[in-house]
Amino acid sequence: MAHGKKNRNVGIVGIGQTQYSSHREDVNQPEMVQEAVRLALKDAGISIRDVDCVVHGNMELFEMVHQPDLWHVLGTGGYGKGGYRITTGGTTGSTLVAAADNLTASGMYDVVMAIGFEKLQEGHTTGGITNMADPLWARNLLTGALSGHTAARMIKEFGEDRAKRAAMTMRIIMDKHACLNPNSHRAFGLEFDQMESLMETSPRLVGDLRLIHMCSQSDGACALILAEEKRAKEISKKPVWIRDHITIHREETFNVFGLEPPESTHHFAARNLFERNGIKDPLEYFDVFEMYDPSAWWGVDWLRDFFLLEGDEHLKLVENKEVMIGGKIPMNPSGGVVAANPIGATATARVAEAALQVRGDAGRHQIPKPVRHALASGFGGTIWTVLFLLEKELTGWGE
Amino acid sequence: MSEYFGVKVEDLFSTMPERFRPEGAEGIDASFGYDIQGEGKWKLTVKDKKIKIEKTPNLSGCVTVTTTDGETFVGINLGKVDAMKAFSSGKFKVEGDFGALAKTGKMFRKYVPPPRELTTKEYILDMFGTLEKRFQPERAEGLGVSIGYDIGGEDGGKWTAVIQGGKCAVKEGLAENLSVKLQAQATDWVALMLGKTDAMSLLSAGRAAVAGDAKLALKLGEIFAPYVPPGEKAAEQELIVLRKTISVDQKFATGPVMGKFLNGLKDKKIMANQCPKCGRFQLPPREVCAECRVRATGWKEVGPKGHLMVMDVVYYASPDPLTGETRETPYGSIHVLLDGCKGNETFWHLLRRDQVFQVKEAWGEEKGTRLRPVWAEHRTGSIHDIQYFEIDD
Repeated sequence: MAHGKKNRNVGIVGIGQTQYSSHREDVNQPEMVQEAVRLALKDAGISIRDVDCVVHGNMELFEMVHQPDLWHVLGTGGYGKGGYRITTGGTTGSTLVAAADNLTASGMYDVVMAIGFEKLQEGHTTGGITNMADPLWARNLLTGALSGHTAARMIKEFGEDRAKRAAMTMRIIMDKHACLNPNSHRAFGLEFDQMESLMETSPRLVGDLRLIHMCSQSDGACALILAEEKRAKEISKKPVWIRDHITIHREETFNVFGLEPPESTHHFAARNLFERNGIKDPLEYFDVFEMYDPSAWWGVDWLRDFFLLEGDEHLKLVENKEVMIGGKIPMNPSGGVVAANPIGATATARVAEAALQVRGDAGRHQIPKPVRHALASGFGGTIWTVLFLLEKELTGWGE
Repeated sequence: MSEYFGVKVEDLFSTMPERFRPEGAEGIDASFGYDIQGEGKWKLTVKDKKIKIEKTPNLSGCVTVTTTDGETFVGINLGKVDAMKAFSSGKFKVEGDFGALAKTGKMFRKYVPPPRELTTKEYILDMFGTLEKRFQPERAEGLGVSIGYDIGGEDGGKWTAVIQGGKCAVKEGLAENLSVKLQAQATDWVALMLGKTDAMSLLSAGRAAVAGDAKLALKLGEIFAPYVPPGEKAAEQELIVLRKTISVDQKFATGPVMGKFLNGLKDKKIMANQCPKCGRFQLPPREVCAECRVRATGWKEVGPKGHLMVMDVVYYASPDPLTGETRETPYGSIHVLLDGCKGNETFWHLLRRDQVFQVKEAWGEEKGTRLRPVWAEHRTGSIHDIQYFEIDD
């Protein structure tokens, strides 16, 4: 793949997240966005006057608001600044960070704020995703982002009991993490001994994908402030460096249900990103991974793709709780997407949470070992992937 | 120690230092005794605009000793009992310098009981006790339903709200022929009503269930005004939420390539187009092979029969985006490998609903169930020209 080197180094210097919730009738959209913007500015210790450009994104089909970036100017502070609107479905949240990184690295702007938001309670999420499909054929068949295919495939590959237990173990681990994150929308307090009962009693959505496995529909916003190297060092004592990111899309028609499924976009993205950055053993290299995990089944399955694993290595990581805080490769210490899913902000929050881990500022869900290298993913559409490499140090990459 | 009107006698004395108003103690230099029968004796000493309150059996040296019972004492302080009446009836007695005692009236701010978190049981009783009052007839026009509440746990209970003719009547117990039944544990129900959790979270965790008319369950938040705990005021202003429904009549041009495929359906033919480079067939056809990025020019009729590859059994009742009608569930969303196709060249459609549990997916060498399309009688060149696939036996 053709890939140019960055013109300038870019660091994350400000992070702001609202509480994620299904109850934000107390504020309108610009008011909610403003909460995240204020927190990010406060975190960076700068004023909105120091921001040169605002990149704003969500999925229009959910709330059916055209040009929400204009409506939201009172909340984003974007008046008189450079401004871009990004809307790429599920990947929006990471695509807008990628865009902000490119805008900063290019020299176009020195300080860029990326804002992802969604108020899913103001629309119909599954209806919105269904209407995203091509209107000539697929729109009539799609059921939002719900699919039982991965569950069915894992059950065939690993046996019903082992596969179901792995998915539910992942779900309970995510809930335990969510309980440590004050911003979680859903934190139930699940225990491992509830596994059997949840496997049987949670309502089915599609096949063996049950309600308990699936992500929530949340309201919330997440804002990140990015700055070029010199400004980043002036603004922040511990900027988190965006070393690289990759975006992989596949043709929009699903072609993954045949006898010879093609390489997944997750695997392709990870393979290419690691290769061009000299990362030979990703499982050893990364200290933490914030994955866009729309369901517990995908959370387990995609570990294999992202870490380029073989056979049942990914299942073992889950079964041995190596993905739990304190494990070998903690996944989603934040609780992940099953804990909070304000879609346009969801992938931004993955980068934000990975950056908080690198800084050591994640609070109660900070993992106990030092974090030098973090991975964060975005997901959307017909299995689209955005993948971010975050670093604590500016030098010594790939060592 | 007993509670009167929800307040203990002790509470009135122990809060005296915080309720003390020095400006009201101008020129007072005395001790006052309180003998509250069955509760104990307290001595209040006032000097130099400062007070000391102590619980002591020894009330010697007091200029007055007030003798009364707990209920009267608390009642007078909370304004629940008429002081003059209590005094006249002898329930409230003062020995000593009555004039000196009268001066203490301005010495303390009125006692306000702290807002007390109700117990789960109290909340549940209050929530269902106020349900009729919270009914909003203007939001339930023409509605004739009965809603059952099955609240589990020690503090739970069962109630039925019958809405008929613009009125709501709440009775204990579950009626027969409920329109919808809501089930949850008492603690979860209280959290839900207080806005500390949401229904989807409870449903997800399997901690709540809705049986019957789920659409009605979703409307309950409109039919009934939000629960406000006793002693708390409703929000200063209503947080207005505007409701909008977008209904757009759309039409999409299909173009010559997709158009050829759709025209084929009219003649009961399934036409795939082929990439000249990699040779793969595309269903539905696309102008260009996305893998090879060359124009896909070849055409071939495939199927119409084939083998099931993958099926999603959908239980989630999602709306059909074209009609707005909720889809009947469960239904089978299937990917079929039509005869003449290979590899990943699957075709996406629906399975006959009553056969969802009679078919088998492909896995490895094993082929899936043999299927055939069921054509619509009147075909217009759309996805609906095929009603669904069914088992080909």
